Amino acid sequence: MTATAAERPHTAHTARGGGFAGTWTLTRFLLRRDRVRLPAWTAGFALFMGYLTAALPVAYGDDKQLRAIGQMFRDPVGRLMIGPGYGFEDPTLERFVANGYGLYFLVLAALMSILLVSRHTRVEEQNGRAELVRANVVGRYAALTATLVVAAVTNAAAGAAVFAMMAAVGGYGAGGSLVFAAGIAATGLAFAGVAAVTVQVTEYSRAASGMAGAVLGAAFVVRSGGDMAEQGGSPLSWFSPLAWGQQTAPFVLDRWWPLLLPLAVAAGGFAAGYALLTRRDLGSGLLAVRAGRSRAAASLGTPLGLALRLERAGIIGWAAALAIGSLAFGAYAQTLLDAAEDMPAAFVRLFGGADGMLAGYLAYMAGFMSYIVGAYAILAVQGLRTEETGGRGEPVLATPVGRWAWLGSNLAVTAAAVVVLMAAAGAAIGAGAALVTGDTRHIGDLTLAHLNHVPAVLVVLGLAALLFGAAPRAIPAAWAVVGYGAVIGTFGPLMDLPDAALDASPFHHPARMPVESFDPGPFAALLALAAVLAALGFAAFRRRGINV
Amino acid sequence: MTEQAPAIDIRGLRKSFGAVTALDGLDLSVAEGEVHGFLGPNGAGKTTTLRVLLGLLRADSGHAAMLGGDPWKDAVDLHRRLAFVPGDVELWPNLTGGEAIDLFARLRGSFDRGRRDELCRRFDLDPAKKGRTYSKGNRQKVALISALASDVELLLLDEPTAGLDPLMEAVFQECIREAKAAGRTVLLSSHILGQVEALADRISIIRQGSIVETGTLSELRHLTRTTVVAETAQPPDSLAALPGVHGLEHTGGQVRFEADGDRLDRIVAALGALGVRSLVAHPPTLEQLLLRHYGDALHDGAASSAGVAK
Repeated sequence: MTATAAERPHTAHTARGGGFAGTWTLTRFLLRRDRVRLPAWTAGFALFMGYLTAALPVAYGDDKQLRAIGQMFRDPVGRLMIGPGYGFEDPTLERFVANGYGLYFLVLAALMSILLVSRHTRVEEQNGRAELVRANVVGRYAALTATLVVAAVTNAAAGAAVFAMMAAVGGYGAGGSLVFAAGIAATGLAFAGVAAVTVQVTEYSRAASGMAGAVLGAAFVVRSGGDMAEQGGSPLSWFSPLAWGQQTAPFVLDRWWPLLLPLAVAAGGFAAGYALLTRRDLGSGLLAVRAGRSRAAASLGTPLGLALRLERAGIIGWAAALAIGSLAFGAYAQTLLDAAEDMPAAFVRLFGGADGMLAGYLAYMAGFMSYIVGAYAILAVQGLRTEETGGRGEPVLATPVGRWAWLGSNLAVTAAAVVVLMAAAGAAIGAGAALVTGDTRHIGDLTLAHLNHVPAVLVVLGLAALLFGAAPRAIPAAWAVVGYGAVIGTFGPLMDLPDAALDASPFHHPARMPVESFDPGPFAALLALAAVLAALGFAAFRRRGINV
Repeated sequence: MTEQAPAIDIRGLRKSFGAVTALDGLDLSVAEGEVHGFLGPNGAGKTTTLRVLLGLLRADSGHAAMLGGDPWKDAVDLHRRLAFVPGDVELWPNLTGGEAIDLFARLRGSFDRGRRDELCRRFDLDPAKKGRTYSKGNRQKVALISALASDVELLLLDEPTAGLDPLMEAVFQECIREAKAAGRTVLLSSHILGQVEALADRISIIRQGSIVETGTLSELRHLTRTTVVAETAQPPDSLAALPGVHGLEHTGGQVRFEADGDRLDRIVAALGALGVRSLVAHPPTLEQLLLRHYGDALHDGAASSAGVAK
């Protein structure tokens, strides 16, 4: 009886919250659930910045070196990869860090926000936990609001960590550091807004993250073209949410107003998310689920058929995304040649002339695509692990399907997909380049150049397979190889690293086609390494328990 | 029946996960052609036993044989001859139920299309829906239909009807009787006592990773006490002193006690001498059997309230 009396004011209080009732409790709950992730991301940002502030003075200590490297970042291919290239005509270390590497902080913040929003909204609904929460005194908007609050807190923490590293450890100017850090947080928030919309659209969390990821990919492609066209970015750049954080030009112009754009996108995304939320039922999406076939097609009856069926949609999606992006990257070839005309002749000669520059660019893109397809390979193996832990592997393995047949079918499909994706990316880049230059030989050349990188990707797949068999909880460790390969492949030549550091990356070994000609040595060696890693994975998988 | 090698023969099976002992010297024997009820609460080790039998886990020690083979080494060959229904069926969100049924049945090999369609009708399942739209009960039906449509010798069922409604429960029991009539062996892990009582030829009760009781229901009953409620002409207090009488309560003209199975005849004779006016005696329910083995855990919690009642 006393309890009822005591609870009454509480009930009245939460009822006033209406659709937002329970937001504060949920916010604290989400922060508790993220008690490892949030500090880990923050620490990751701090470490990345800490590494740059420590490593760059060592790598290119004196002003002359800085200027030489700055020249490379200023050229069109450099701008394609790093951004509009503010401040490189008169580079300082702080300008170098903020304008040379800033883009990657923005991409990370965007990924972090997309995963965070999806994890706390759609994943919860998909697993039925949201229902349990909503059955309590929790308003319709509480979960989304709490998620967005946590997204804001996480992005602010990441920005604060970066600022602290720059100002305190690097000793960089406070104004520029602040505008740079704010750009990271604002960009992250903008992508939280994008994800707030995509999680309303589909019932399936992976599709929701995938759509938001597609926006991120498109943003990268658009700003690549825009930034390549002109130093300081062209009008095209401004259509990309990834460009805005860089248009603040930290330590050069230090302007704040471009950050209004990501904040507007965030606000618009949040508003659209709330509006869509009221138009759907809990657990459902805006896109209706269609009925399917009541009998399985003849192809669905073997482990290989199952693996192919489960991966099919993903492979098609990846191939389409890669082909569209690659077509754009290929079409930037003309932009590159035009930009080369405006450059000092001596500088163009340094890159082996305009044609040499184009070949170098295309060779770099083949490597770049292999990092992306490497990410696909790891995601596929992580997906297989989810099959196992999600209880879908067990009933399959309870039929006369051996462990090797199950793992082998899935790895075979992923390996085949790697070949298809690399070929699609190569053909599309070649087609893009052929469209603008009129030289159709690019299509064949670049398809081969991309296929030349397949064994490096298969090494990543082999490593992921080994981890799957031997230590499935450690599969994410395979990301380190792709991350390391991407950093080394992009910045390694500028960092003056020892050969051993370059050789440690499997991506470093394939011949740089079309600049160099095909080299069967590394091709065969990488294939053999991939086979050995996968074989060890098979042996280990035969010995371990399922889903323990 | 005892001449043949048992379909499942487990002796002294042990399995631990880190500090947690899941199976602690488990013995289990399932004869060919019988429906064997495998009873115990959550966490007693039922699922771990089944996963060892499926070769998904390797036991730490002990002997396990199924259909004459080694569950770990001969997994693939054995799986041709059995079908498994997990307690928590997870389906692929983008595959329909019909596709999942066909997939499992085809992976197993032999598969009767007509029987599959008939089972879909009997279980009232729409096979054209995508996996993500199914409720728990419907996911369970998908696994059940696929297993029952396969031509196999052994069915391993892990709490197969946890999400089914009573109508579907009846269909399930019918199907299991048909399977038994067709000569199949069924290991039915369950904690639905009515289901086991209705279906099982023999029962094993598992507790904390080992079997504490095994036998037919009547054998198990014989070992335990019969509840007797009677009205007598003379005061029944003398009964309390008889060996085999437990928990005698005397309220109004009615006496209520529990009698050991092996002393029942003497107790009934003594009762008769008191002038019986009404008599109700019933064998222990499965629930009581189970509670006998799990009672101590309950007693600790219920001790205070039970004490007051006495």
